[in-house]
Amino acid sequence: MLVMSPHDMGRRTLLKLSGLSLVGATAGCLEGEEETPTATTTEESGGGGGGDDGTTTTTEESGGDESSYTIGMVDSLTGSLAPYGERNTRGRELALAAINEVGIGSEGASLNISVEDDESTNQGGVNGAQVLVNQDGVPLLIGSVGSGVSIAIHDSVTRDAGVVQISQNSTSPELTTRPELLRMSPSGSAKGQALASLVNDDGHDTVAVTWINNDYGTGLSDVFAETFESEFDGTVAYNEPHDQGQSSYSGILTEMASTDASAWIFLTYANEYTVMVNEGFDQGYNTSVDYYGAESTVADSIIENTPEGSMDGMTGITESAPQDQENYQNFVAAFEENYDGTPTVWSAYAYDAVTVAAIAIEAADEFTGEALASVVRDVTRPEGEEVFNFEEAAAVLRDGGSPSDINYQGVSGPVDLDENGDPPGYYQIYSVEDHEYVFGDYITS
Amino acid sequence: MIPLQISPFQYVANGVVFSSIIVLAAIGLSLVYSIADFANFAHGDLMTVGAFSALFSVGFFRPMLGDAGVFGLPLWFFLALAFGMGAAAVISVVTNRVVYRPVKDSGSIGLLISSIGVALVYRALVFLSFGTEPERYGVPRQGPVPWVRETLGIAVTPRNLVVVALTVVLVTALHLTLTRTTLGRKMRATADNADLARVSGIRTSEVIFAMWLIGGALAAAGGVFLGLEELVRPRMGFDILLIVFAAVILGGIGSVYGAMLGGLVIGMVHELVPLFDQLGVPLVSTPYAEAVAFVIMVVILLVRPSGIAGDSG
Repeated sequence: MLVMSPHDMGRRTLLKLSGLSLVGATAGCLEGEEETPTATTTEESGGGGGGDDGTTTTTEESGGDESSYTIGMVDSLTGSLAPYGERNTRGRELALAAINEVGIGSEGASLNISVEDDESTNQGGVNGAQVLVNQDGVPLLIGSVGSGVSIAIHDSVTRDAGVVQISQNSTSPELTTRPELLRMSPSGSAKGQALASLVNDDGHDTVAVTWINNDYGTGLSDVFAETFESEFDGTVAYNEPHDQGQSSYSGILTEMASTDASAWIFLTYANEYTVMVNEGFDQGYNTSVDYYGAESTVADSIIENTPEGSMDGMTGITESAPQDQENYQNFVAAFEENYDGTPTVWSAYAYDAVTVAAIAIEAADEFTGEALASVVRDVTRPEGEEVFNFEEAAAVLRDGGSPSDINYQGVSGPVDLDENGDPPGYYQIYSVEDHEYVFGDYITS
Repeated sequence: MIPLQISPFQYVANGVVFSSIIVLAAIGLSLVYSIADFANFAHGDLMTVGAFSALFSVGFFRPMLGDAGVFGLPLWFFLALAFGMGAAAVISVVTNRVVYRPVKDSGSIGLLISSIGVALVYRALVFLSFGTEPERYGVPRQGPVPWVRETLGIAVTPRNLVVVALTVVLVTALHLTLTRTTLGRKMRATADNADLARVSGIRTSEVIFAMWLIGGALAAAGGVFLGLEELVRPRMGFDILLIVFAAVILGGIGSVYGAMLGGLVIGMVHELVPLFDQLGVPLVSTPYAEAVAFVIMVVILLVRPSGIAGDSG
């Protein structure tokens, strides 16, 4: 037999140990490799101390000489969130070009944005914001990507300086607790709530949830389960995580099948979901329960790698752009022309942040933080003529309209900033029919 | 909506299928361990290479043979399997020639580190030739076999049956080779004591050649079956390597029969965890399936430090 001889026991034991620890170690380092960027850009919140020292200097009216207005933007140009920074840069440039073609005010003044890099860190964000607010004296600051960064800037710099802050990409629910901190991207919790309401509307009262074991899955499943149980009196019979990149998920599926759930909610990534759909089909679950998913369970690769009929009837919601709106179509066309690719929702958020800022400057009586803060929500909210770009907004305002007479409809959605400074989530319902995705109604939450 | 009735035997069926894949991978790893004396970290990626080679061959076998099938699977799949096994066998022999043999004098640690490099090279080559997206063989999925479902109440697909049956065939063939042929005797002798084998006139280089051939082919079979059951992914082999190592160590490192047994135990435990969870065993739940498998391994090693089959010789 192929067995070890006693004399080389010592060496083999060493081999064994080194072998095991090495598998562990390499598995550890390579784990992050496949991690896909998710909709949440949450970083550790809070932090960012040391910025609260001398910010009592109120902003003077300095940026607004007659021919140009300067606002600030803190963006993640380097560091782990740099991909978002690049998308934001493109959105910002497109918005700026559209605005400066028209010009702000009757004089047609131009809008300048001075940009500081936050290096994707809280401290970097606070430093950049201090430069913009204390040295350049901007009354309005767009920033930033990471939720922790946006909060640090707000708490350390803009809140006390009376500067209007609009975060372009932060999605943490934590921002909701700071009403003066506005944002263009909906809170991550809006999606979980919208999904819970969709499942409930379809008449399910017992569901099973499996979620990918990372920040994205944890956050989304928490909100979903919480909403489904407390708001809709439903039962979450199964609520367990699964790891990314496993070779088999049949254990999870079999366990879900042994509950009496009539709907299965998959909060996971495309590869994991593909494996699950195949295994569910092999075991015949797809005809017995309804599948639900979110934005990362929509992918052409899923359709290609699963058999016909294995997930017909699946439903879900996904972040959506208002594709029927002309301004969105123009945005996509301009983006494709300039950057050779289709825009992501993150570019659209940055575009809207700049446009809302410009409309607020146009609408405000003077170029100060206080004056801008009093109009910035009004220009985005209903009760008022729907305007789709800066030019239309400016036309209404110059025609004697007040800030509440306009309701900006952005390229990322309806924007409508609420009392917490959050826009509604804008989602589209999709379903699978004849093994193809069919996109249906839009819902806002 | 019909409420699903899940028989506990469903978990056993899942476990047998998963174990088959682990067993095939574990045998090759154990062979390398016993004869070449190092932990081959490239073994997982060798499975991937085998799976992708089979995928590559589907491109020409499929148009050639059409949809004619046996045992519920198209004929071209079996040819692709054979092709994948052959390709992986050749690749592992070549790798031995190019990498492992020249660095042999650096000892088992040197070989171990080299094998990590080889694993990365394999994976990079797969990325280069096939991209990073998951693929599939395109064998139509038929869902559970109706009569099994009616009589036993468990869902078993034709492909599950084929995987298990072919694993049994391959393992039996290996057993016969090891026990009934001269080559098998030479391999066992070399594994026991390479120096003594060489003194008694066995050409150990031939044995090592055969060992890589067999190990590579079986790894590829495991990879193809894994790809058939799930998806053909560039990281599939690496992701499963940890469990395969657990199986090999549990079985008694270097022992082929131990590896088979270890693969069976680890695979079954991995898939039976949800059942334990439902029976109310504390601290055991599905997300921890791998951890539970490892705890079982540690417990068995505490009782039998050289593994299940480790000290029978």
